[in-house]
Amino acid sequence: MIDILLALSILFPVLAGFICLGIKNHTARGGIVYLTTAVLIITSILFLRQGSFPIEYTPALAWDWVMLVFDYVILAYFLFVAIRDFVRRGISRHNVLTIALTLASGIPLALFEFSWAPRVPLEAHPTLFIDHLAGIMCLVISIIGSLICVYAIRYMRDHEEHRIHLGELRETNQPRFFFFMLIFLGAMNGLVFANNLLWLAFFWEMTTLCCYALIRHDETPVAITNAFRALWMCLIGGVGFTLAIIFSWNSPLHTISLMEIINSGALAYPALLLPLALLCLAGFTKSAQVPVQSWLLGAMVAPTPVSALLHSSTMVKAGVYLILRIAPGFQGTNLSTFVAIYGGAIFLVTSLLAISQSEGKRVLAYSTIGNLGLIILCAGINTSLAVAAGIMLIIFHAMSKGLLFLCAGAIEHNIWSRNIEDMEGVARGLPILSGITIVGILSMLVAPFGVLITKWGAMEATSGIGVWSTLILILLMLGSGATTVFWTKWAGRLLCHSPLPGAAKAEPIVPLYHGILLLFITCAVVFSILIAPVYNGVVAPALAEAGYSPAFTTGFWFLKAPGLGIFAAWPIFVVVAFALMIPYLRVRAKPEQSRAAYMCGENVELGTDAFVAVADERTELKTGGFYAESILGERNLNRFIEPIGIILLIIMFAMVTI
Amino acid sequence: MISTHWAVISAVIAVIVAPLIGGLLKGVDRKLTAHMQGRIGPPIIQPFYDFIKLLGKKPMVAGSAQLVFAYGYLFLIITAVVFWAIRQDLLVLLFILGFAGVCLALGALSVKSPYSQFGGHRELLQLLAYEPILLLAAIPIALKSGGFPIANIFEYGQPLLPDLWLTFIALVVALVIVMRKSPFDISSSEHAHQEIVRGIVTEYSGPYLAIIELAHWYELVLLLAILSLFWIVGSLWWLSIIIPLACWFLMLITDNICTRLTWSWMVKFAWGCGITLVALNILFVNLHWV
Repeated sequence: MIDILLALSILFPVLAGFICLGIKNHTARGGIVYLTTAVLIITSILFLRQGSFPIEYTPALAWDWVMLVFDYVILAYFLFVAIRDFVRRGISRHNVLTIALTLASGIPLALFEFSWAPRVPLEAHPTLFIDHLAGIMCLVISIIGSLICVYAIRYMRDHEEHRIHLGELRETNQPRFFFFMLIFLGAMNGLVFANNLLWLAFFWEMTTLCCYALIRHDETPVAITNAFRALWMCLIGGVGFTLAIIFSWNSPLHTISLMEIINSGALAYPALLLPLALLCLAGFTKSAQVPVQSWLLGAMVAPTPVSALLHSSTMVKAGVYLILRIAPGFQGTNLSTFVAIYGGAIFLVTSLLAISQSEGKRVLAYSTIGNLGLIILCAGINTSLAVAAGIMLIIFHAMSKGLLFLCAGAIEHNIWSRNIEDMEGVARGLPILSGITIVGILSMLVAPFGVLITKWGAMEATSGIGVWSTLILILLMLGSGATTVFWTKWAGRLLCHSPLPGAAKAEPIVPLYHGILLLFITCAVVFSILIAPVYNGVVAPALAEAGYSPAFTTGFWFLKAPGLGIFAAWPIFVVVAFALMIPYLRVRAKPEQSRAAYMCGENVELGTDAFVAVADERTELKTGGFYAESILGERNLNRFIEPIGIILLIIMFAMVTI
Repeated sequence: MISTHWAVISAVIAVIVAPLIGGLLKGVDRKLTAHMQGRIGPPIIQPFYDFIKLLGKKPMVAGSAQLVFAYGYLFLIITAVVFWAIRQDLLVLLFILGFAGVCLALGALSVKSPYSQFGGHRELLQLLAYEPILLLAAIPIALKSGGFPIANIFEYGQPLLPDLWLTFIALVVALVIVMRKSPFDISSSEHAHQEIVRGIVTEYSGPYLAIIELAHWYELVLLLAILSLFWIVGSLWWLSIIIPLACWFLMLITDNICTRLTWSWMVKFAWGCGITLVALNILFVNLHWV
């Protein structure tokens, strides 16, 4: 049974991707995507219904050979594209770094696998390891990931129509797009189930490949440059992986089994600190933490489903998933405290940077990096409450951020702009879409939604760890304040319009946009209300399997952290429904009550946003958002944070090697 | 935790009594301010007269969204007051207070009016200044009383102020920012400003302005109630009424002698001074020096 489920979740999407590559018909391709969605969702649910956890599975040796060969195929492909880019566009930082880092990753790996390791290929028992944490990630990947692919069916059609209309595109690229999207889903599933570090590295590189290909999709010069930037920055993590494998084999444990490393722990075996730190480095680069955050920002040029899937809900989660998984391994060490401080610092800095961004997707990107920093912080605090908060944040952030990216994409396909300032007053013309967006923004920001509950959990967990908690808490609270600013500002810009007489034009309803968005927002709300059953169902077993004590008790569906605090989720939902939903449904301004705003002059007429000013001239009213570019902009802050990020990483490695 | 019986009674009393106290305090505020300025000033119960007058006015609205958010602001502040009364988790209370502040800002930002927009964005900056202080202040309270629920403060049995006076000072700074009193009356003020009129409440009038006023009364009482937690147990429990009122009076004096300062100064001051004070307190508690 397990082998069938594994084949369906890992191999079936790859097969579906190859089929999509060959299909020219739009409807047939859509059918394949729907089929893959159904298969993946059912498979991921069935995984968690298996009898006893954790499940260990070792496929036949032939598969180890397949991994080995394809790992080098992928590395060779990276070399190939870098050299091709070098030939076409001349020498540049990006292709040189790509070639250098691919060689730095591939040559030691080849040396290890073929001359240092006792057997070729080197196995670890078990090869695949399925526990509740992996099961949660599989659910997130399969459900959220596939739904984003379904959304992409319509989105890519509109996207290509628009580009053909603008003369930028001649023939469709959708087969290649869906090929990479689908094999990416299979690679992610393989990544979360892998226990053998060589297999994990293979799936890791495969997600890097998909990331590169998908960012590059539009084949504009900016897209190609940003794709290479993502490629070499993720390859830094690949180098880290290779070195982690080598050092972990050279440690007294002589193992490349992830679970063996974690279960032994760095406290008992200090030699494991270096491989664990290298795996953390791989996680940091995959999750676009400082100093490599610019690859995620650059990746925003890709079509929105790519941003939603890879760069918010799924691929970047692979990095924090790895760090959460190895967290029990470095529990109680200085590395753990360091990881917490690092995550908190990134949360603060990216939240401040997000205030200065006026392009919607860049705000979402910075917010994503910040929340990933928050998960890393939770992993670093390493108590059961913190790790529970981290796992739940993975789930809720994937839902909310995926939703917000899809909303941004749908709005973009209505107003053909990504700038928040162009979204001013969109709530009038697109009430359903902006309503979903605003609820999505609130779901990232306020009680009682899941993201805030996890922030509460992280704060309460941090308060108990001693002297370092002071610094970490400062970073957390300041970052939390900063997030309020940019989220509320965006919601406010969406709503900002003057009362216009008469009814607005009806909003065009697109089933694949609105349907998917409604599904996402319903999930976000329902799962936030049901946070206690979610905790009991999947998170509590995951904690137990990793060796942590229970984080919450859940009487009445409240979350009670024993000896710390209590979060009554559903009563607050009732209150919020009463406070906001009922006024929204019942209170309406009657037409005769509508007045134009006060503009300090004689208004022209209701709904024209103009007033009579100097010399009796009719002057248009223009409003704008607050961005503080000069203080919080990238130009100002990046020159501090990138060097500091590099120094922090150097300190981390100094700490583990000395 | 207190029993359900007492919880319901406390909640009902709090919801009824808090605006009465809040309105009265606003009235005394205006009277004392007038005397400081050499005037006689309105009667002490003038705020209630104003409230009734506003309720009776014809509503004029610049968009339905601002109405929704006015109600949201009021009901969420009332929820926070109820949370205090039933001694719930302090951090959750502060998050609900933050949500209320977001509603107020959204109500202002949802109207296309220059003054409202100014007020709304500046309100976000006030949130940026005071929210970290409030959230951080919950930590030393929790460390001392053994948990975040307010009930733990009552069970702790000793006053918190002698150990947590640094946090208390930071909270007083936060109080002035939340109540939008000089020098922090940046997003709005009780007296209209020349360049942003009334800021966040510029486009509110009539019954909806009355709702916002009512919510401000609740907010004032809630913040004073949070300050009162520092001496609410022990034999000298009546100090828990005197001390917040003294702080409120201090805020009054500061309002009268200070002029408004810039938003960047406010954020720097709040983050620099306020955060440092609370951080030192957390450090001292963790090092067992207090």
